[in-house]
Amino acid sequence: MNGPKQKNSNKKPDPGPRPGRREKNKTQTKERILAAALQLFRENGLEGTTTREISRRAQIAEGTLFNYFKTKEDLALYFFQKETDDLIKWFRANKRLQKAPLPEKLFGVIHRQLEYIEPYEDFIGAVFCRSLQPTSSLSPLSFDSLELRLKYLRFIREILAEAEESGDIPRVGDLGAYAVGLFYLGIVAFWLQDGSRGKQKTLALLDRALTVGSHVLKKGNWAW
Amino acid sequence: MVTSKNSAVRRASRLMKMGMGVAGSYLGYQVQRRFLDEEGARGRQDAFHRKQARKIRDELQDLKGPVMKLGQALSMQTHFLDPELIAELSSLQMQAPPMHPSLMRAQFKSALGKYPEDMFRSFDEKPFAAASLGQVHWAVTRKGEEVAVKIQYPAMREAIESDFRALRAAGVVARLTGHLKEAVISEVERGILEETDYLNEAKNIENFRLALAPLEFVRIAKVHHDLTSDQVLTMSRVPGRRLQEFLLTNPSQELRDKLGTGLTRLFFFQLFCVKALHADPHPGNYLFNEDGTIGLVDFGCVKYLKPEVIRCYAQFWSREWAHDPKLFREIIRVIFGPRVSPNEPRVRRCMNEIRRFYDTYHPLDKPPRTLDLADSKFMNALAKLAKVLLRNKFLSPEFLFLSRTESGMCNLLHILKSRVVTTQIAQEWMPSSKP
Repeated sequence: MNGPKQKNSNKKPDPGPRPGRREKNKTQTKERILAAALQLFRENGLEGTTTREISRRAQIAEGTLFNYFKTKEDLALYFFQKETDDLIKWFRANKRLQKAPLPEKLFGVIHRQLEYIEPYEDFIGAVFCRSLQPTSSLSPLSFDSLELRLKYLRFIREILAEAEESGDIPRVGDLGAYAVGLFYLGIVAFWLQDGSRGKQKTLALLDRALTVGSHVLKKGNWAW
Repeated sequence: MVTSKNSAVRRASRLMKMGMGVAGSYLGYQVQRRFLDEEGARGRQDAFHRKQARKIRDELQDLKGPVMKLGQALSMQTHFLDPELIAELSSLQMQAPPMHPSLMRAQFKSALGKYPEDMFRSFDEKPFAAASLGQVHWAVTRKGEEVAVKIQYPAMREAIESDFRALRAAGVVARLTGHLKEAVISEVERGILEETDYLNEAKNIENFRLALAPLEFVRIAKVHHDLTSDQVLTMSRVPGRRLQEFLLTNPSQELRDKLGTGLTRLFFFQLFCVKALHADPHPGNYLFNEDGTIGLVDFGCVKYLKPEVIRCYAQFWSREWAHDPKLFREIIRVIFGPRVSPNEPRVRRCMNEIRRFYDTYHPLDKPPRTLDLADSKFMNALAKLAKVLLRNKFLSPEFLFLSRTESGMCNLLHILKSRVVTTQIAQEWMPSSKP
């Protein structure tokens, strides 16, 4: 009986998966859960999907699911985190757009966001309605979404700062980033109810609003 | 939140404001006129027209897009409008704002499901021509053929429909007094809406390619159906230069005459043989070559004409109606409508004016006379004839298109300074006066 024990004690301690690998596995599981959840949201809607169904579809224990996401809203927040990360990465790699005038830059950014959420229209609609509830962690005023919001606002602020530097627009400060953030929410609301083919009315509205908006900013002689 | 309804309301209110602005000062002008002598009034009237013309142009340029197309359509009715207004409106041509590459790509994907780089070997993101409904880009297909790709602005059809609702509301008084006929508005609307369907244009291109094959000097593009939808139209590249660009090469009088004769033959062949007109006489739609060939582009607005309308128009050239009361009655029925008597003074006035114009400029002399289109007397007479016809409510929608194309062609020939044997060409394919 001692043999094996001794043998065991002589064995070098198992180092386990390397930290990088553990992180990778964690991300993979999160992705699997998100993919399963998005699939179910599309089939049954946000309200009609339970966490048990999500864990079953992702082939993990319900307890494991809770280790990653406490609520369905946390899942939605993770979706938007990924969306924001994808957006920033895409913009940094897009050299042509970085040299474009401000209205086109903002058009490109918002259009990319709309392209990302396009396959999940029903889910986005449900999230949009839920975000209007003050107690929801998806609310634009909630602390849970604060970090994500700041990331997005800083990114937009960076774009606006470049336009300020080159004299394309007067100094708008952080307020400008908030205005663009609100504008994006308005565009999403319009996009959700846009029944035109390929949501072309949203494209036209986005283009015209940005062109007029930047024109007004430029010519308005704002003393901010 | 901005909704489509709100955007339509904004556009409508803008148009209404424009209508009210014009009506308001027009009323002021009418009141003033009562107290002033005729000569003073004429001076003010000119100033008034110039001011209003600029105002209308500014409003149209602000609205851009579909209303601009309407402005362009109206500006082509050269003889139906005052010269000041035409001068202002003509500056609208080809000035629509371009889509930036990001919007163009988004719209391309929305129409064809993929981005341009996924469908072409190369694609020039910078447009080489802008039209009010779309813009055109050069590209090379995967097989290596050079093509022109026309891409439409997003949601144009919806915007046009909304503009026409506003126009009808704003022009209710003009419609009640008969100065702006519902039939005319509908005709212009139908023409513009038809232009939004590029599949329709693709069909027109193919029909015209086939029908105009006997005219060996005409060049028409070939459609690439696999790269075409109702909002994206891919065509082979047509060789040639735009009129202004072509004139910079200082073409000889011989070449000017050859091209002018070609354009005239093209017009009459379309009218009398194809029975359809490439009805957008915008100079940008013709491409000229040193070998005398003419490229024809933009088939968005094609009008298929009724045989009776063509027969009546042919009568203006043959003048058989002057000796045949039956033919005369048919012309009156087709042009003025079935309830109008041939003895009405306005009918007489119009027909006398038409006869005088054709006898002076397109006489039936033998040998046939050559008309010098560079002569501005001819252009003034054409404008005067149109004014008389308008004043006497000579406004059949079919003739509207016919006269629009004819005056567009004359305008082209005038700029080209061509000398053309018009009557001889007209008679080459003249249809019989009998149905």
